Amino acid sequence: MSLARASRLARPARRAAPPAVLAGLGAAALLVTLLAALSGAVHIPLADALRVLAAGPTQPDDTLWRNVLLDIRLPRVLFAAVAGAALAIAGAAMQALFRNPLAEPGLVGISAGGALGAVGAIVLTTGGFAVTAPAAFAGSLLATAAAYAVGRRVSGVAGLLLAGIAINTVAGSLIGLLTYMASDAQLRDLTFWSMGSLAGASWPLLAFLAPWTLLWSAWLMRQWRAMNALLLGEREAQHLGFALVTVRYKLVLATALIVGPLVAATGGIGFVGLVVPHLVRMTLGADHRWLLPASMLAGALALTLADWLARIVVIPAELPIGLVTSLVGGPFFLWLLARGRKF
Amino acid sequence: MAASLLKTALAILATACLAGAAHAAPDAPARRVVTLGGTVTEIAYALGQGHRLVGDDLSSLYPEAATKLPRVGYYRAVPVEGVLALKPDLVLASDQSGPPAALARLRETGVRVETISDQPTVQSLDDRIRQVARALGVPERGEQLAGSVDAALRDARALPDSHARAVLIMNRTGTPLGAGGGTAASLVLELAGLVNVLADQQGYKPLSAEALGALAPQVIVVPRLSLEAAGGLDKLRASPGVAATPAAARQCIVAMDDLLVLGTGPRLPQAIRTLKETDCVARQGQPTRPAG
Amino acid sequence: MSLRTTDLALSRGGARILSGVSLAIEPGRVLGLLGANGAGKSTLLAALAGELHADEGAIELNGAALSRLPLRRQARQRAVLPQKPSLSFDLGVHEVVAMGAYPFPELDPVEVDELVGAALALAGVPHLAQRRYPELSGGEQQRVQFARVLAQCQAPRDADTPRYLLLDEPISSLDPKHQIELLRTTAGLAHRQGLGVLVIVHDVNLAARWCDRLVMLGNGTVVADGTPDAVLTPANLRAVYDIDADVLPHPTLPGRLLVLPH
Repeated sequence: MSLARASRLARPARRAAPPAVLAGLGAAALLVTLLAALSGAVHIPLADALRVLAAGPTQPDDTLWRNVLLDIRLPRVLFAAVAGAALAIAGAAMQALFRNPLAEPGLVGISAGGALGAVGAIVLTTGGFAVTAPAAFAGSLLATAAAYAVGRRVSGVAGLLLAGIAINTVAGSLIGLLTYMASDAQLRDLTFWSMGSLAGASWPLLAFLAPWTLLWSAWLMRQWRAMNALLLGEREAQHLGFALVTVRYKLVLATALIVGPLVAATGGIGFVGLVVPHLVRMTLGADHRWLLPASMLAGALALTLADWLARIVVIPAELPIGLVTSLVGGPFFLWLLARGRKF
Repeated sequence: MAASLLKTALAILATACLAGAAHAAPDAPARRVVTLGGTVTEIAYALGQGHRLVGDDLSSLYPEAATKLPRVGYYRAVPVEGVLALKPDLVLASDQSGPPAALARLRETGVRVETISDQPTVQSLDDRIRQVARALGVPERGEQLAGSVDAALRDARALPDSHARAVLIMNRTGTPLGAGGGTAASLVLELAGLVNVLADQQGYKPLSAEALGALAPQVIVVPRLSLEAAGGLDKLRASPGVAATPAAARQCIVAMDDLLVLGTGPRLPQAIRTLKETDCVARQGQPTRPAG
Repeated sequence: MSLRTTDLALSRGGARILSGVSLAIEPGRVLGLLGANGAGKSTLLAALAGELHADEGAIELNGAALSRLPLRRQARQRAVLPQKPSLSFDLGVHEVVAMGAYPFPELDPVEVDELVGAALALAGVPHLAQRRYPELSGGEQQRVQFARVLAQCQAPRDADTPRYLLLDEPISSLDPKHQIELLRTTAGLAHRQGLGVLVIVHDVNLAARWCDRLVMLGNGTVVADGTPDAVLTPANLRAVYDIDADVLPHPTLPGRLLVLPH
């Protein structure tokens, strides 16, 4: 068999051509972002909306529409896209790390630590959001670091998993204690914080979060070979030249840095990190070279859609975003499992 | 692209702030008012200004008309765009409402937002009435209402105090909660001449059957919805913790309207009077003539 | 230059598994590792694969101490085919084989594709190139994994140090025809391309047929080390496997032995 003929036979086999899927996802994400920006509680005629979006404010009548579109909606919609992308790629990384389709960033304590930080700030201080967000970020980093440090003492990734469970339990009990101490007003704040909300979106927040997320996501995407190798098994990954401790450290660090600020800024948004990578895997297969960028695009699409639903279903009120993702994601996930598909 | 968007956003902010500043001085009385906070809404109606309201929040349950207005959600999780959709020119926000960022954003877009005192104290009630009235441009009516509430309060407080030991139990989720100090319920109990056995506790906390027995209240006040959740008066009286109390023995479990007893609104005097005039309460403890 | 251990001693979980084990995998030759279950073969292979550190003694890869060599550098000189590869995620055959090129990130996609094609052909499974790995039978999956390590052994690189291939019971899920093909391919690569090979097999006759040298492990020590003629004696077989066997010259293959257990 000649080398040339063998090469032709070895043309890559895919479930669906990845570049096409990526392009499709990108186009869909863009479309949904535009749609979401154009609809909401305040009714803005389409022509005027497009005019304001494209050319900026021109007529004095546009005051309310300007404010809503450019100051409230656009940052929020973009925030949803960034948050969705971040949660999805972090979920994919965790699933690669634990070699388990049920893994998601919360396993290493990021969400519980973030919640503990936020609850602590809400109950023990009076600083409001200015204190809550950094406290949540600090909490998530500390919890993850603790899980990682303790988990290292047990060999294999099981150590990290067990440590994460332990940290989550400890954080949960501390949260319970603080909840008990909370006043009514604080309790209400806690409840809403934990249901998740993208309402804190603003241009300054986005100016930090977007580049930050892209930076660490790009770094994560460069680890695609290591993540593929992990699929073969930890021994085989080492045989291919990947030091497990280094890989684990990188994946956990990147996930904590990507998801931590999000938990701080939004509260808890569940299911995106768990379900989106699955959907992408079902279409594209598990090759991380495509899975990671595709997850980002699909996550952006999913969360923008969810936030749009949250904003228009009970106008003029809004549903908390974590509620929408759970209400839609939960049954959907059950359905996936019931189909018996292999992951 | 982000840079030009940012610049545009900043330009808009600047324009909006100027526009907002122009709106700040109320030349014309506000025509479209959104109220956030149950008693804020109630006061607006009590001042006869209910027809100017275009929206309120989920906790605005009195009067009936308030429940027919568009609801923007819970007053501690106010959606900015939702409020803007109602095109308000005035938002009366309880000082408990939030998140602060949302209210700030509303102000930035040029909407007049007035913060209204909303603490469970008589003084706050007084301030609240006057603040709402002033914001709505009807200060004289505010004086009137404040005055009549004051008078009704004085009359209610003049009734004999029983100094009986009392507790308010609320049950919405299956775990009974007791009202501690700093709650509206505690204020009602104290103004009604009762002694809140949980006064040292801060806020609502779960109350175990054993603790309830140990506290031995002579009067138990229960909001009506909680009573229904417990299965009615007889079932509540028979339940473990309650059955051991003097209140159960003397048949002094008082059901009261939720809104009356869980908030401090203009009907506070009514709540106090209802409690004081309840037979079993009046007969309890050591009745004395209160000073003034 | 070789992949060798010198007086290797290794304990796991408090139990001494290997003592005083010295062997050398020479380039261009196939070394067969024999021994009963529990003799320490897999542990020895794991040590040679860089997974376990020696308690005593040395492990060296082309002259460099393994414990001080970064994993990436090791992977560029040595490939390991595991006994039971597990793969529970959905990858295509091409992607799996292409992983053999991961220690060589400097290769461009065209070179990787050529490498994959050649490896699949060499492993006898070019027809599986378009398939998804989880859909294959156990034997097909094993052969695709074989293609992967072949790719790793053949990836073009600048250095000319010898490369090694460690195979841990590579034929257990294959039918006889494919067992022979795999061993023949391996031996061919060793003899023609200078690959140094270590293979663990249970079938003594296959070992006799395809290996240039044999090492017999018994209770964690080397019982015999040398050519098949020297190692495959009834005495050694009884000592290591606890079986009675006759060792005859192979009736049809000149220079080879045939082992007949009673």
